[in-house]
Amino acid sequence: MSGVYLKDIRMKRESKSFADSLHAVLTAAGMFEGPKYMLSGLTGMAFKFSVHERLLPLSVSAYGNWGDEHSPGVDNIGVLTIWDGGRSRHPTFRFYQQDAIRWVKRSLDEGVGVIYWLPEFGVIHGYDDEDRIFYIQDGYSSDDRIVLYDNFGLNFTEFWYARTFGGAVRVPLETMVLESVRLALHDWDTPYRTLPNTDIGSGRLAYSYLTQALRSGDYDEGGARYILSSFVYARDEIRRYLAEVAHLWPQLAEAGSRYGELAGLFDGWSLENAQGLIGALEQAAALEERAMELFRELSRQYPDPRRDTVPRWGISSAR
Amino acid sequence: MVVLEGLRMRSERRPYTDALHAVLIHRGWFRGSKAMLSGMTVTGFRFTVNRRLTAESATAYNWHSENFLAADFTGMTSSQHMGFVFQPTWPLYRELAIAEIKASIDRGAGAVFWHGEFVVAAGYDDERSVLYYSDGRDSQLRELPYERFGNNGTPYWYYQIIEGRIPMDEHAIVKESFLQAIFKWETHDLALPERGYACGRAAYDAIVTALRSGDYDRDGARETFATYAAFKRDLAEYTAGAAGVRSQAAAVTREVDEHAAQRAGAWPEVAAAAECYGEVSRLFERIAAEPGLPDAERILLFEAARQAEEQAIAALKALVRETADNRYHDIGLR
Repeated sequence: MSGVYLKDIRMKRESKSFADSLHAVLTAAGMFEGPKYMLSGLTGMAFKFSVHERLLPLSVSAYGNWGDEHSPGVDNIGVLTIWDGGRSRHPTFRFYQQDAIRWVKRSLDEGVGVIYWLPEFGVIHGYDDEDRIFYIQDGYSSDDRIVLYDNFGLNFTEFWYARTFGGAVRVPLETMVLESVRLALHDWDTPYRTLPNTDIGSGRLAYSYLTQALRSGDYDEGGARYILSSFVYARDEIRRYLAEVAHLWPQLAEAGSRYGELAGLFDGWSLENAQGLIGALEQAAALEERAMELFRELSRQYPDPRRDTVPRWGISSAR
Repeated sequence: MVVLEGLRMRSERRPYTDALHAVLIHRGWFRGSKAMLSGMTVTGFRFTVNRRLTAESATAYNWHSENFLAADFTGMTSSQHMGFVFQPTWPLYRELAIAEIKASIDRGAGAVFWHGEFVVAAGYDDERSVLYYSDGRDSQLRELPYERFGNNGTPYWYYQIIEGRIPMDEHAIVKESFLQAIFKWETHDLALPERGYACGRAAYDAIVTALRSGDYDRDGARETFATYAAFKRDLAEYTAGAAGVRSQAAAVTREVDEHAAQRAGAWPEVAAAAECYGEVSRLFERIAAEPGLPDAERILLFEAARQAEEQAIAALKALVRETADNRYHDIGLR
């Protein structure tokens, strides 16, 4: 086969770029059915919140090591996933690049799109062996972006990353929802996801980094807008997600109302009104803390082998 | 049925490294000794204990990042998968695991996998649906039915396929291993809760604390000390080889000899480090050889070993100072 072009994949930037990409790929492949906010909620992606101390735009996707961050969420919806990535300056990159070109094409041959770091995350939905190019959707433009085989993985950041998906098993809704709440708790409680660096705060700490920067006035304005609109969108996803699963446990319904209150605080938000924004963020942090307490109460009712067993993988220092 | 001829692991108390070495030697991707592999892959520099000194100590680490890096540091490319056997997706991954391990064997390379310990898959038989693996205890291959893969008495399943090796400057590999040695000495493995585990320099403190309190697992401690005695012996041999100094403990590999003269001139600091690791190794040897030693005496030996290893690291630091400085606060990040 000299080429593939998967027409049914439609990636649209609304949520975090990874969730947008994931929804596009899995929906087209028939591995997930449902709206994006459900996927974002079930995979825990909606809860990821990280902020660079100067509010750089990279904050939104800097929620940790993507391999370790994305895999548990995809696993939670019962989908097999394979990824690779790393720093393109490392000597073994050339091998992994060539290997990835092969498995990306194989995935497309099987009709499954591939998530790819452009940056940000986009979806590879086609290739052409003659021109040696991949076709990629970035979710902003209806025109494809083109990446040459030779440039695969090379971009202005230090990182390359690609992820594909295999089969799927059916997981009961309660199981997925309970785990999503635990993923949320873990994100909320973990202040640094990119150790040993501490210039990016996550979860609860992300709020502090955001308000501190707004107070000092020393921040990246474009980044601030991006962080805030992504933050507001994610809170709305969480609100809708919790409304849909509220029937499972009373704590979810109550946490859902906290997120409902929270959403109202940011109607017509503007960077010009820093004081108002800081006030809203402080209230939001308190509401979210309350929601997390409810999640914790729910989590404690059931055994949690994933967290009671010390894993042999997970967070690590980048080397 | 496919069985790779001559692929056998020999268990010499180096979890993972024993298995990796068997695969690499058999496939011809590495020609050096286990000590060389321990050093170059940085696996020998890892020193982690469960605070109760249980037998899991030597395999309690982030397999995902460390075993990837072990390959990556030496120019070997690999793919690996792992998880808990109680995850709902496990049946999907088991199918993938069997397929990938078989494909690796078809390409002529064994695969490392976790079967309550790290072992080497050396063959398979589709008609009987079994893998053949070597666990290093003897020269026999054992059978593992496909559907029992991952059924190993622990919550983990894991496998790693080595795919190839790209040429790399050996001098650069050795130098990187020293940078990583400093990182391992100073840094806690983030995957492990600190209340339960200690790493690097802090592992010595944890051992001494456990021995003082008497609240530790006797059998586990014996096992743990014997394992680390093997790794410390590797470090002594590895650094001695790198310094161009002929180690008395073991024969230096041919590869080292080729560059020995060059290194001896360029790296006097490594000779200093090698001397210290030699001392660490002798102390561990004694600890491992005399399990009946009273705890009070063992504490003294561990304290001496800690001091010697601290000096070894200081010597390595002097050697790689410039690169370390360029890495600022993050010495592990290449």
